[in-house]
Amino acid sequence: MATQETTGDQLGRDAALRLQQLKGRLFEVALVAATLVGIVSLLALFAQIGSDAFQPESASATWFLVYLGTLVAPTAAFTLYARRRPAVRETNALAFAAVFGGLLLSAVTYVVVESLSPYDVFIYAAFAAVPPAVVVAYDRTTDGWAYTGPAIPASILVGIAAAALLYDVVRGPIGIAAGWIMYFGLVTVPAALLIGTLTASRRGRRSGIVVGGLVAGGGLAVAAASIVAGTNASLLVVFFSLFAVPTGYVLWRSVRTDPAGRVGVAGPFVLLGGALLGAAVVSQFGIQNPDTFLTPNLLLQSWDGLRAGNAGVYPQIVGSIVIVGFMAVLAFPVGIGAAVYLEEYAPDTGIRGRLATLLEINISNLAGVPSVVYGLLGLALFRRTLGLGTGVVISAAGTLGLLILPIVIVSTQEALRSVPDALRQGSYGMGASRWQTLREVVLPEAIPGTLTGTILALARAIGETAPLVIIAVATTKYSPPSGLFGSATALPLQIFAAASNAKPEFRHGVVPAAAVVLLILMLLMNATAIVIRNKYARET
Amino acid sequence: MSESDTSPKIQTTIETDDDDGRTAPLDARDTVIETWDLDVYYGDEHALDGVSMEIREHDVTALIGPSGCGKSTFLRCINRMNDMIDVCRVEGDVEFDGKNVYDDDVDPVALRRKIGIVFQKPNPFPKSIRDNVAYGLKIQGYDGDIDARVEESLKRAALYEEVKDQLDSSGLDLSGGQQQRLCIARAIAPDPEVILMDEPTSALDPVAASKIEDLIDDLAEEYTVIIVTHNMQQAARISDKTAVFLTGGRLVEYDDTTKIFENPEHDRVEDYITGKFG
Repeated sequence: MATQETTGDQLGRDAALRLQQLKGRLFEVALVAATLVGIVSLLALFAQIGSDAFQPESASATWFLVYLGTLVAPTAAFTLYARRRPAVRETNALAFAAVFGGLLLSAVTYVVVESLSPYDVFIYAAFAAVPPAVVVAYDRTTDGWAYTGPAIPASILVGIAAAALLYDVVRGPIGIAAGWIMYFGLVTVPAALLIGTLTASRRGRRSGIVVGGLVAGGGLAVAAASIVAGTNASLLVVFFSLFAVPTGYVLWRSVRTDPAGRVGVAGPFVLLGGALLGAAVVSQFGIQNPDTFLTPNLLLQSWDGLRAGNAGVYPQIVGSIVIVGFMAVLAFPVGIGAAVYLEEYAPDTGIRGRLATLLEINISNLAGVPSVVYGLLGLALFRRTLGLGTGVVISAAGTLGLLILPIVIVSTQEALRSVPDALRQGSYGMGASRWQTLREVVLPEAIPGTLTGTILALARAIGETAPLVIIAVATTKYSPPSGLFGSATALPLQIFAAASNAKPEFRHGVVPAAAVVLLILMLLMNATAIVIRNKYARET
Repeated sequence: MSESDTSPKIQTTIETDDDDGRTAPLDARDTVIETWDLDVYYGDEHALDGVSMEIREHDVTALIGPSGCGKSTFLRCINRMNDMIDVCRVEGDVEFDGKNVYDDDVDPVALRRKIGIVFQKPNPFPKSIRDNVAYGLKIQGYDGDIDARVEESLKRAALYEEVKDQLDSSGLDLSGGQQQRLCIARAIAPDPEVILMDEPTSALDPVAASKIEDLIDDLAEEYTVIIVTHNMQQAARISDKTAVFLTGGRLVEYDDTTKIFENPEHDRVEDYITGKFG
């Protein structure tokens, strides 16, 4: 019976099958190797930069032990504890977002407003806020007035134009007031209104007014106390309104409404407390700190090209934030608008359809144009044609805005395309106009995808160096930009310049430290956008 | 909406070959939709070929026929959903209450507020159940009690009892059959005159489908329902009139449902109904 195969033989593994399987294995191994090469070399790069910036080998072993005990171990223990309890984990995430989001928001608001002048920002913000408030009030008192939607953005533009016209008249009298009053108007008043409205929607009008009043009163009290104590009243008012109040509100709500997860509130404080405790122990016992280049000097001082310990990149950090922030204001509305037109309005056929197709092809190609070329475009457009100053914020923001425009357009188009057509049909079938369909159904669905694209665009923009060099943005400047038409400076430029400094401690210490700061800036921006995106993705 | 007939609709099935009071009051009803020589082209493709038919108020009219015969195209012509397709070209008249909907002075947005539509695949918006039903009211600027209308519409769509405790949860969390009833509730909330249904049960299981069929029966008391279906039994069960479209976009036969299913004029219609092709 040698010739007859049993079922066992048929189902067994013969030579051909074994060969097939070997090929599959080899392919899999090759894929794993490719992945590892990429990840390991990136990790090695970051380790190298981090080690140069931080100089961990210069710290004593006790230093590591102290922080292991105060910071790493408690945080790890808390994370392990929270991992198995979804309610705790959720509250923990919320508390982290509130605490660190609040800290970040207050720090960024303070440094940006301070560099642009609180008086100017206040004047423009006030002029921009009053007309829409009037429009909303008119809408509340009038029945059947159908123009509220379009009137609000129009009134904001009118307000800003009015501010520009009346600036010279208003600036003098406003300048008499103390600086912290500007911050009070800029951050405490909106925070009080927001929290008051939120409370009012939950617990009635009276408690809303009381809570809003408490926030405003708290802001005044903080300012008064810091004036008496001789500290920086503006900074404290900002931290009170953008950090203490929202964090307090979020944490208080979690503790009250979520008994299962309330332990999670402690998460950020374990981390912060551990860091502070570690620092206290280290200084108390005179333990050897690492000889790091990531010092407060680096973050808070301006540049010193002679002594590495004194070199700081504060103006560059603020410059990068201002440029990228203003770039977002310029580029996102234009990019998203263009994408919505191309995707939702442009016809598929006819001359206009062909024109739209041509545009789309061009935009996809523009996304790959080298950034130096955008620098030349920015130079020609902003410096030569519009005659703006050399290396000013608005040119830098505009140039980077043009650079990221294709990325924003393409990713927004992608997001719009992924909205199922059945939803549009359903909306049209209900008798909705195109605009109503867009606003009520399509755009809310497309927001998470759009934000993903804008994250990429922001990350690309903050690291761009070449176009800024071409439009002659200053490398080293000793003060942050004073306004949109003031001269700018940006972090990657300073890194680029310092990399050719004669002193090795600059090339191997300050440069990696500044690079770490740049990476952290980028990660913070990405994290913000990701938090916003996830919030939208959950809601819809 | 004319109130010429408010009596409950007579259940029409093949079995009940009723002769009591069926002809007289039904013929007295007004025509609500009338088409004259309707031709539709998708580019070079001739999708509908000279279709003329009259649809009366409060009837359930079933459109049946093999795939690609133009019945969905016909349905979408009535509330101008075909306008959204660039290559689509419509010739001929579609009159709604005596007005040609393809006249220049007709706004398709206003038209669709009078003629609602329910699609083959349930397509609730990614919003709460309440917001789904209130959608039509909101976009039309309805300034009455929206919550009351939402409740009433859900009740009429036989969904209220199942969802009354979760009106704020997402419409996408419902089962397929519930989603389709939500879409029907959404369509009737702004109180249209005509409801178009494009194979509303073909994506559903038999139990969910039979619930929708019962619902269509009830809806016909207040609305004119035009339904495209691939399911011959369904057409026979729920419709008063049946229109048979055959390949080439031609309306071959249009008559009382009982007549179509028991004694059709054309052999090809009989072949189709008995399952010899299609």
